[in-house]
Amino acid sequence: MKRFILVLFTAMTLYSQSPAQDTAAVVTKEELSEVKGAVDGINETILEMKATVDALKKIKVSGYIQAQYQVADSPGVSSYAGGNFPSNVKSRYSVRRGRMKVNYDNDLTQYVLQIDVTQSGVGIKDAYISVMEPWMRTASLTAGIFDRPFGFEISYSSSNRESPERSRLFQTLFPGERELGAKLELNAQEGLFSYINFKGGFFNGVLNTANENDRNKDFIGRLGFQLPFQEENFAIDGGFSLYSGKVTNNSKYVYSIDENSATKQYRIDSMATNNLGHFGRAYYGGDIQMYYDIPVIGGASLRAEYITGEQPGTSSSGSFYNPSSVNTALYKRQFNGWYVMYIQNIGLQNQFIFKYDVFDPNTDVKGDDLGRPGTNLTTADIKFSTLGIGWVYHWDANVKFVAYYDRVMNEKVYSGANGSFAAYKNDLKDNVFTLRMQYKF
Amino acid sequence: MKKIIASLIIAITAFGFMQKDETITVKGSDTMVILAQRWAELYMSKHPGVTVQVTGGGSGTGISALINGTTDICNASRPMKKTEKEKLKQRYNTLGVEIKAAKDGLAVYVHESLPIAELTFAQLKSIYTGKITNWKDLGGPDTRIILYGRENNSGTYVYYKDNVLDGQDYSATVQSLPGTAAVVNAVGKDKYGIGYGGAAYGKGIKFLKVKKDAQTPGYEPTAENVKTGDYPITRYLYMYTRSKPTGAMKEYIDWILSSEGQQIATKVGYFPVR
Repeated sequence: MKRFILVLFTAMTLYSQSPAQDTAAVVTKEELSEVKGAVDGINETILEMKATVDALKKIKVSGYIQAQYQVADSPGVSSYAGGNFPSNVKSRYSVRRGRMKVNYDNDLTQYVLQIDVTQSGVGIKDAYISVMEPWMRTASLTAGIFDRPFGFEISYSSSNRESPERSRLFQTLFPGERELGAKLELNAQEGLFSYINFKGGFFNGVLNTANENDRNKDFIGRLGFQLPFQEENFAIDGGFSLYSGKVTNNSKYVYSIDENSATKQYRIDSMATNNLGHFGRAYYGGDIQMYYDIPVIGGASLRAEYITGEQPGTSSSGSFYNPSSVNTALYKRQFNGWYVMYIQNIGLQNQFIFKYDVFDPNTDVKGDDLGRPGTNLTTADIKFSTLGIGWVYHWDANVKFVAYYDRVMNEKVYSGANGSFAAYKNDLKDNVFTLRMQYKF
Repeated sequence: MKKIIASLIIAITAFGFMQKDETITVKGSDTMVILAQRWAELYMSKHPGVTVQVTGGGSGTGISALINGTTDICNASRPMKKTEKEKLKQRYNTLGVEIKAAKDGLAVYVHESLPIAELTFAQLKSIYTGKITNWKDLGGPDTRIILYGRENNSGTYVYYKDNVLDGQDYSATVQSLPGTAAVVNAVGKDKYGIGYGGAAYGKGIKFLKVKKDAQTPGYEPTAENVKTGDYPITRYLYMYTRSKPTGAMKEYIDWILSSEGQQIATKVGYFPVR
C-alpha cells in the first residue's frame, strides 16, 4: 500500500513539475502502468484475503458457563439438582456447566465439537458431523456423539432451559443426554411438510463415551409437529417418541414383579440362559408445548411430557442396566413419569417458572409395599415428585441470573420398614435452593 | 420477612414492565435504512414526545438484535427463517409479529455505457455463480465481468441467493460491499461491473430489464411492473417485533401502514403494500 501511494505521489509530482509536455506524457504513462500493476496486485491480495475471511467466517465458536451456589435442607443429600451433596455438606459453590462449542458450518456440512469444563474435569459433550442433501435441503444425516432424539426436554439446550436441571425422569432414563450413533433428520423449511419433522436413528445404547458392550443397537426416534397460528399469537408443537432397544445381562439373575403374589415382591429367575441374555428396554413418549403471547405482559408457554415403558435396571438404580461389575442381577421394572412446566415472560428481562415433575420407577408397587421384609424391593423403586418454582432475570444479551427452589417429595414407605428404607417413612429433607449466574456468547 | 419478599416481587415485576419511555429502536436491513430514517424523521416531527432511533447493519444483524433484546423493531428485506423464529420462541415464548411494510423490486445494475439491456434469470444465475465470466458471452464487449454484491448478513444477499441463484453459492470473485449504496457507487465507476440491490438506490446507473426466461419479455423494476408482479425479482420489506406491538410502538407501526407512511415509501422509491 505504501509503495502504491509513493508511486502515485511521484507520478503526480513529476506531472505537475515537468517542463516538457511530451516527457511528462511518457513518464505519466510509465507511472500509470506501474500504478495499474500495483492496483491489480492489491485486488488480487484482497481476493485472497476475502477467501481466507470467508473460510474463517464458517468457524463459529460459542459457549457458556454456569456458576452457582446451592443450599440443601440437610447435609449429604442425594439430589437431581446438579448431583449429590458430599457427606456433611449442605451448601456448595460449583461450575455446573462450562461449555465451549466449535462449529465449522459449510452450509450443507457441519463439524461440531463441544466440551464441558468444570471442577470435575473435562468431558466431551458433542462430537459429530452432519451432512444435508443439497436438492431440497430437507434431509440430513448426523453421526457421532449427540443428543438422543427423544422427546422435547432432552434436546432443549441447558443454556436456554429456564429450570436449572432437566426433570428427574430424563436424568434417570437418559443420563448425559448424549449417545453414540447415527440419525436421519427430516425437516422441511417451507411448504406443508414444514409443519412436521422427524429425527431418528440407531445408537449403541450405552453412554456417550462408553464402548459398546453388546451386539444390540437401539432405535431412538421422534415424529414431531409444529402448528403456528400467527394471527392468534399462538402455537402448538409436539411429538411422539420411541426408544426400542436391548441390554445384555451379565448374570443369570433376573428380578421381575410377581403378578400372582398377594404381596408385591420381586420374583427371582436364575436360569442359566439368562446369562448373556438380551432384555428389552422400551420407552414410549409424548410431548406438547403451547405458546401464547399475552398482550402487554409477554409470552407464555406451557410444556408437558409423558413417558412410560419398561426399564431393565439394577437393584440400586432405576437407570438403564449398564453395570460396571460382572454378575450384576437385572431388575425389570415398568415405569412412568411426566412433567408440566409453565413459563411466563414479564417484559423483556424477567421470566417466572413453575414446574412439577413425577417419576415412578416401578408402577407395579406402591409406597406401602416398599420396605416390607422378603419382597426384595429396593429404594430404587420409590416414586419421587418435585415442585420447582423459579425466577430468571436476563441482565443483558449474555448474562442471566436464575433463582430456583426444588421442593422434592418422596413416596412414604411401609411404616414398619427399617434399614435403607427407614429414612423414607417420612419425606426426606432434600429440598434444594439454587442461585445461578450464566454467561453465554 | 413476608413483607420484604412481597415488596421484592412487586419491585421486580414493575422493573420487568418498565419500558424505555417513548423511545423506539429500529435496526436491520441496509436496503430499508433510508426509508426507515424518512419514516422516523417525519414521525418524530409530528410526535415530539417520541424518539425513533434507526440503524442499519443488515437484516441478519437486525434479527439477531431482536432475539437478543437490543432492538424493539427489526427491519428485514427477507422473511425470518424457521431457525430464527425458533430462537425467538425459546427466549420470549412468542412467535414474533411480521409486518409487511413496503414492496421492493430488486434491481440489477450495470454501468450506463454497457451495451446490454436485459438478462434472463438463468443468465444472472450463471453470472453470479461464476459460470459466465465474460460480457462477450452475453453479447457485450470482450472483457471480464466484475461482480459486486452484498455481505452475507444482508437480507438482499440471502434473497438474491435463494431466488435468483436457486440457493447455489455465489462465485468467490463477488466483491462484497457493506450496503446497496456502495454497490451502486461501485457499478457507477466500473464500466464492466454488475450489481444488485433495492431499486430505490438506482440513481445514476442503468437498470437491466430482467426476464423470467428467454421467451418472456424483460421488465424494468418500475412502480407499475413491481405492482403488477411482471418484474420477476419482487419482494416484500418486513418489520418484525417480538410480541404484538402496543403503546407507542403500535402507533408508530400503524402510522407506517397508513396512507401517509406508505406515501413516504413511494417517495423514497419503494412501493406501497396497500
